[in-house]
Amino acid sequence: MEGSIMEAGRYIGAGLAMLGAAGAGVGVGLSALGALGGMARNPDAYGNLLTSMILGIAFSEAIAIYCLVISFLMLFKVV
Amino acid sequence: MFLGCAAGGGLAGYGLAGIPPVRPEITAAAEKLIAEPIVDNFLGLAPLYLVNTLPTLGLTIVLLILIAYFTNRSLNRSLKTDLVPRGIGNLMEAILEALYNMTEGSAGAKWAKTIFMWFATIMIYVLFANLLKLLPGFESIGVLHPAHGEGFAIRELGGGWSYLLPHQVEEGGFILAPFFRGISVDLNFTVSLALIAVVAVQAIGFRALGLGYLKKFFNFGNVFKVPFFGVIDMGMGILELVSEFAKILSFAFRLFGNMFAGVVLVAVASSLIGFISIVPAMLFLFELFVGVIQAFVFGILTMVFMVMATAGHGHEEEHAPEGSQTEVHEL
Repeated sequence: MEGSIMEAGRYIGAGLAMLGAAGAGVGVGLSALGALGGMARNPDAYGNLLTSMILGIAFSEAIAIYCLVISFLMLFKVV
Repeated sequence: MFLGCAAGGGLAGYGLAGIPPVRPEITAAAEKLIAEPIVDNFLGLAPLYLVNTLPTLGLTIVLLILIAYFTNRSLNRSLKTDLVPRGIGNLMEAILEALYNMTEGSAGAKWAKTIFMWFATIMIYVLFANLLKLLPGFESIGVLHPAHGEGFAIRELGGGWSYLLPHQVEEGGFILAPFFRGISVDLNFTVSLALIAVVAVQAIGFRALGLGYLKKFFNFGNVFKVPFFGVIDMGMGILELVSEFAKILSFAFRLFGNMFAGVVLVAVASSLIGFISIVPAMLFLFELFVGVIQAFVFGILTMVFMVMATAGHGHEEEHAPEGSQTEVHEL
């Protein structure tokens, strides 16, 4: 019986850890919003803005990746 | 060595000859190829094991040295003839020129050379580290170790090779330790690279500003002149000091996290829907993208931190319009 509670805890914990992805989603959306607005106003800046946007998206995504790693570690009993 | 041979090689096929894909054993640390340490007391610190990121590290370095050698030869040949770079020399020149222009755009002409060396070296190294792990054979071919707990059943292929069956058994199963594992999936690699990058940032800061660089961290100058803002400045300095250590962590875990998540994603997707092999193939494409982006991010961040270190604390306002001016000019 206690084994199954551990199992349930692992799955619930992994799911809860992924809550952090919500923030990263907002971050990615905001950086794309800003970059698209800039591109629409100044189409010549497309190349520069794209690089910076991808950089910004990578930063926000890293937060989601931390959550993903934590949830993987819980899910597969790595630690 | 004997243990590995006695256990024989293992082959976890990706849909090979009707063999269903197997979820590999997922570990955050690199697997040991040989259970016993190869050096018992390495530098008086700890035992050194032959882990499976070590062969990959050798492979990466050999590949980079070969590329450097052939580029050098190609450029030397073009120097002797008509000064027109061809083949790999031309390719590398184009790539490095683009990177150099990018560095010069944000660092200015004075520090571009120094910063460019670090930026390009780190970026190319991480790029190869990230892309090599996508090669077939990585994470799938390796040595079988007898499992202590749950393991996979195996079937003989002949010639000392066998492959894993997808179902797990309680007793007498085996665990696969692959020969090759991407080096950026090892925290040791990313932490050491992050330490190198951050220490280099401090070194460049000291070179640019001398002992004045320390003013960024220990800013006591204004405490007696304007008490309220002076104390705030002091607190900011301490925060800067903490953020230098946070840089190491964020550098290391960003790369490791992305790469490790990629490995797990591909493994899980393959084991769930591996018989539709287009899905893992698409994930590999995504991993290619992530690998390039993360290498770029690691390099760019090193560059940006170095530029910030050379600019100093008080001069930022003066430099900012200058930098934006050059960027506008480039367009």
